[in-house]
Amino acid sequence: MHSYSRGFLLLGLACVLGFSLMGFEMLGSRYLYPYFGGGINTWASLIATVLVALMLGYLLGGALVDRTMSPRLCGVLLTIAGVYLFSIPLWVDPLFGWMLNSVGDGMAGIILAATILLLLPLTLMSTFTPFAVRLLLTSVTVGGRLVGFVYGVSTIGNVLGTLVTTFVLVPSFGSRALTMVFAAVTIAAGIAMTGADRFLRGATS
Amino acid sequence: MDMRMSRRAVLGTGAGLVLAPFVPAARAAETGLLEKRESLYNNIFIFGDADSVSMTFGQNKRYYTESSMKLSNPGALTVEYTRYMTMGVAYPPKLERIAEIGLGGGRTVSYLTASLPDTGILAIELDKDVVDLAKKYFKFKETARLRTVISDGRAFLLKDNETWDVILIDAYRGPFVPFHLLTKEFYALVKTRLNPGGVVVQNIEPTTMLFDAATATLKSAFPSVDLYDGGGNIVAVGYDGPQLPQAELLARAGKVQDRYKLRYDLRQMAGERRIFSRPIGKILTDDFAPVETMRAIAKNNEKWKEQTEAPR
Repeated sequence: MHSYSRGFLLLGLACVLGFSLMGFEMLGSRYLYPYFGGGINTWASLIATVLVALMLGYLLGGALVDRTMSPRLCGVLLTIAGVYLFSIPLWVDPLFGWMLNSVGDGMAGIILAATILLLLPLTLMSTFTPFAVRLLLTSVTVGGRLVGFVYGVSTIGNVLGTLVTTFVLVPSFGSRALTMVFAAVTIAAGIAMTGADRFLRGATS
Repeated sequence: MDMRMSRRAVLGTGAGLVLAPFVPAARAAETGLLEKRESLYNNIFIFGDADSVSMTFGQNKRYYTESSMKLSNPGALTVEYTRYMTMGVAYPPKLERIAEIGLGGGRTVSYLTASLPDTGILAIELDKDVVDLAKKYFKFKETARLRTVISDGRAFLLKDNETWDVILIDAYRGPFVPFHLLTKEFYALVKTRLNPGGVVVQNIEPTTMLFDAATATLKSAFPSVDLYDGGGNIVAVGYDGPQLPQAELLARAGKVQDRYKLRYDLRQMAGERRIFSRPIGKILTDDFAPVETMRAIAKNNEKWKEQTEAPR
């Protein structure tokens, strides 16, 4: 029973964080267009940055969870990510305006802008997946299914985050307000991981 | 957390949901196709026959006409609204520098360059292939007085501090105007790049809800907005300060007309002016500008007149 509820908690968080992550990628375009234009190059920069963040987050999360087995650590990383997201509306316009004049709107400028906007918070958010897998892994014999399940649920979150953000949220709310909502959701996930530290360690220790 | 495929599909679907803007329905496929070019930003199709050539952007099996020209009469502006775009030159106290965002086949800037021998004109075009094709098929020539720069229009205005007497905006990508060229912040930027007495001229398509939002947004940045019926598309002229009395505009139009002997009579066009006095749309901002959704809601294309009144 205990392991079921731990599974629900971690899979629920995987879905919610997956939603926020892709939702924020879609919002990223709203921040970049006014300064760097709205072409395929802007999208390429956003997509590449998100994939680099996923790669770094998976590597970092995997290394940290094996060493620490600490849900609290993951919670701290998620909270930092959320605080960063929360701060974006405060500095993004002056920074991008300055970058456009100093770096320009070529490839270097767009990639740098996408990197500053997304890389740190999305890397920290994606450390969650290896944490979730390792914390749920009680037996190697179910390892394949477990990994498949965690990634599957997380990807459902990604799909919903992409579609709902684009077709429902952006047409209804301002992108600054939405950024703050995604930030709040990420911070809440971080607090949940920290608060559930003992509960999540339970079965494996 | 891994999701690569759907974002391009999302963009594609958004575009596909909408009906044609300022174009007549899909034309018979591929007849008279001279060249098809897939650029970084557009699928560009050049169609032509013995006496005409047109540039269209293809999207979702429809072709959106960006420009057209009669070979036997290359100086004519064959698309009606582009004649009204030239109405912008009647307003400002001087005509030294004009900028256009969105080149297309370059007919409007070529006409203005030929008509105004002392004016320098800069066309800001995002897509290098559009410039190449304008040169290849539309007799577009860069000269000392008519230059082009390859850039996003907003990024260029942000980077470059030069100011202009007239800024023409006609930046459609197929059916869409990119949202960042339709916000209050964008128009505020345009305003800082105008000389005293300068005007912004924008082509707006009146058959969707986006028209209401675009005109309201323009009006939020420019106290005075005049509208002209360009035969399907509406041409908006925005400027600072109070609305010009009609007699004053007619006098200015007459002066420019008499001096340059323009082919499309400014005095006559000035007589068709409507004052945009009743904005009803939502003001678009960088924060909130759901242009795709607004474009999907159809509107009677005669309704725009209800937001205007006759000039005095």
